[in-house]
Amino acid sequence: MNLQVWAQSLIFGIFVGGLYGLAAVGLSLVFGVMKMLNVAHGELLMLGGYATFCFFSFYHIDPFLSLLPSAFILFLIGMGLYKGLFSPLAKLHEEVKIKNSLLIGFGLSLIFHNLAIRIWTADEKSVSVLYSGWGFSLFGLRFPFIRFAGLLLAMIVIFALHQFLTKTYFGKAIRATTENWESAALMGINIEKTSMVSFGLGAALAAMAGTIVSVGYAIYPAMGLGWTLKALIVVVLAGLGNIGGAFVAGVLLGAVESVSTLFVGPYMEVVGLVIFLLVLELRPQGLFGKIGE
Amino acid sequence: MNKEYKLSSHRRNFFLGLGTAIILIFALVPLLTKRNDFINIMILIFLYVCLAQSWNILAGYAGQVSLGHAAFFGLGAIATRFLWAWGYPFFLAFPAGGVVAVVFALIVGHPALRLKGIYFAIGTLGLAEILRITIENTLPTVASLPEDYIATYNLIPRYYLFLILAIIVVAMVFWVSRSKLGLGMVAVREDEEAAKASGVSTFRQKMVAFAISSFFAGLAGGAFAFYQVSYYYELPFSPTWTFDALLITFVGGVGTVVGPIVGAFFYVIFKELFARTFPELHVFVFGILFILVVLLLPGGLVEMVSRIRRLVTARKTETGFC
Amino acid sequence: MLEIQKISVSYGDLQILWNISLNVEEKEIVGLIGPNGAGKTTTLRTITGLLRPSAGRIQFEGVPMENVPIHKRVELGISLIPEGRGLFPEMSTLENLELGAFTAKGRTCKDKTLEQVYELFPILKNRKKQSAGTMSGGEQQMLAIGRGLMSKPKLLLVDEPSWGLSPLLSKLIYEVIGQINHSGVTILLIEQNVRIALELANRAYVIENGRIVKQGDCRNMFDDQHIREAYLGTESA
Repeated sequence: MNLQVWAQSLIFGIFVGGLYGLAAVGLSLVFGVMKMLNVAHGELLMLGGYATFCFFSFYHIDPFLSLLPSAFILFLIGMGLYKGLFSPLAKLHEEVKIKNSLLIGFGLSLIFHNLAIRIWTADEKSVSVLYSGWGFSLFGLRFPFIRFAGLLLAMIVIFALHQFLTKTYFGKAIRATTENWESAALMGINIEKTSMVSFGLGAALAAMAGTIVSVGYAIYPAMGLGWTLKALIVVVLAGLGNIGGAFVAGVLLGAVESVSTLFVGPYMEVVGLVIFLLVLELRPQGLFGKIGE
Repeated sequence: MNKEYKLSSHRRNFFLGLGTAIILIFALVPLLTKRNDFINIMILIFLYVCLAQSWNILAGYAGQVSLGHAAFFGLGAIATRFLWAWGYPFFLAFPAGGVVAVVFALIVGHPALRLKGIYFAIGTLGLAEILRITIENTLPTVASLPEDYIATYNLIPRYYLFLILAIIVVAMVFWVSRSKLGLGMVAVREDEEAAKASGVSTFRQKMVAFAISSFFAGLAGGAFAFYQVSYYYELPFSPTWTFDALLITFVGGVGTVVGPIVGAFFYVIFKELFARTFPELHVFVFGILFILVVLLLPGGLVEMVSRIRRLVTARKTETGFC
Repeated sequence: MLEIQKISVSYGDLQILWNISLNVEEKEIVGLIGPNGAGKTTTLRTITGLLRPSAGRIQFEGVPMENVPIHKRVELGISLIPEGRGLFPEMSTLENLELGAFTAKGRTCKDKTLEQVYELFPILKNRKKQSAGTMSGGEQQMLAIGRGLMSKPKLLLVDEPSWGLSPLLSKLIYEVIGQINHSGVTILLIEQNVRIALELANRAYVIENGRIVKQGDCRNMFDDQHIREAYLGTESA
């Protein structure tokens, strides 16, 4: 197997890995603040993709332009979901709260999946723009424009998120809530509002990943579970609550999967899942996490 | 959260009598009707009862929510299908399905059950997906019965197989729920730390629940392989089966004996009602009911019924006391 | 300023406080003393809103606190320096202090308050960028107190400020608490070391098994026999 095939595979892996990272960052944020794993995250990603698709089909808006509006719509939906479904759980005992949020997320994923089938049918859809096929070549390797843009976008968004979390008061409030919610409350931080906005943010981030998927790949109602699993794998790899690490872990996962396609073909998904189980079992704080987290 | 009601002996006899009557009626169904669609619906109900009850033992009683139930259903199906296709008599191939599932559970149980709560859930999901993807790629074809066999395919024995299996699974859950084993499981569910402190071997309880759960899921899979004429080999590994079990159990009443039965019944009814007009609507409806149950009525339909009953008896004593 | 009338508080089925009544007047230092597990921390947590009483009333500056959420109480002027400091370990000293000023009131004069805190605890200025979790116990306590001051509280609740600190550091912390009180902040203080508590505070309440068993001026308490036997008998650490 020559170097070019390897390299090309790696490139594609990094591109999709950036998306994995973006998808995971939202999940990680929500987990940090609310200490719950939203298993409907993939469905929120899917809805973001469909929002972009709708903007494109009905209004002919370029997907990169409708990225923010789609994300905003999902931001609102996310906040609404939090207010209606998860905030009643806030008063409960920790263990019950986590279990019930898992269950509610699960219920949501089924509902959204079904809703999507009803509205858009079960077929695959994709946003085809003029420049869908464009790309450039470097050292004999192909860089499809859209996928490359997707990676750039993911990096920009995550950088913006980082700035938000470190430089703004509300961002710091989110981090404080993640570290010690009681103390955060004692600072005058409205935990309820913070959780609601965080959940909305998580949904918005998922939606942005979904937008890129709709242009660069394809969307269909059943895609939610697959993406939720990918995000879960990355989040576990990076260490729960580790937002910066999520991007790196995502790219890593994408690269590993892509390259392993060369060896095990369609079983590359299994590779990711096996790594996931190993990390869960042996190093639950993740590759980048600290012991005792 | 879940109460097993201590029944007075009057009540108990009533339910036993009722249960026996229902079973008798079910047993007579194939003799009373020739309508295959009706029989198929009953079979589906029994199948879901098995699937849900086996999941219920692990999640409702031992408190471990597994999202990988389909793995065992699939393993049972594949084991039974292959053994049967290779010429082994069905009465051997069928239990073998359960055995394969249990062996797998015993192996993965050790690492898996070390994971707590949500990690166990996503871990089992990951595991089931690994199996599914593997089968999807190693056996991408359809498992179909040979033509000459299809000609002699008889629905009736399959009906009784599912009926008997459902009865056994329900009886098992009933028996476990009232046994010392069941008490141990519930202790783990309610407060694992406290259980450990009072000397309960929490790992053993979880493992036993896991084994029982997977065994019956495997049997259900084996029955499925016997029943379904042709299907993609990866179908029984699809997470949809797990999700169905969750929906059914929770809406019916998790941690109760009757809950999954009631849930399965309504699930299939809804499915049939909407099959022509809105296929898959039953999943949507149950999804919403599921969320409502989690938020408002943790005991599911069973709890709702008992609440109504209490309201009614309260009214009665208020108004009509002599 | 603070009036607590007959509150009872439980953790689930376990009742911790039984009919507790106490009050704190402006500019006072009031001490809360008693053995471990008596319910002192529970009392403070209930005042902040982290716990809700199942019975009784709490009033702050005449305003009933029943339905006031935690973050609103902070805005009204109640600040807690929790047991164990409750810092944000991954965030820097400066970030911790900034978060202390999260409320609107705190933010308006954030810079000035920060300067004041640096005057009280100069070492915090040196440790501006350092993660709170990596600092020593004494530094963390100073940071916790400094952070608690950033919201410009009217009532400062302090839970065992000298816990785990050397006698020298404890003395320093208590001097600072005295200074804070002098600048106009009312203080309700839990302190394990009864002698220090009685020396520092104006009045004190003694809680045992979730009930107030004694209260009064600190000078008188020194002479009280029960207190002498139970708490002042041996020189406690």
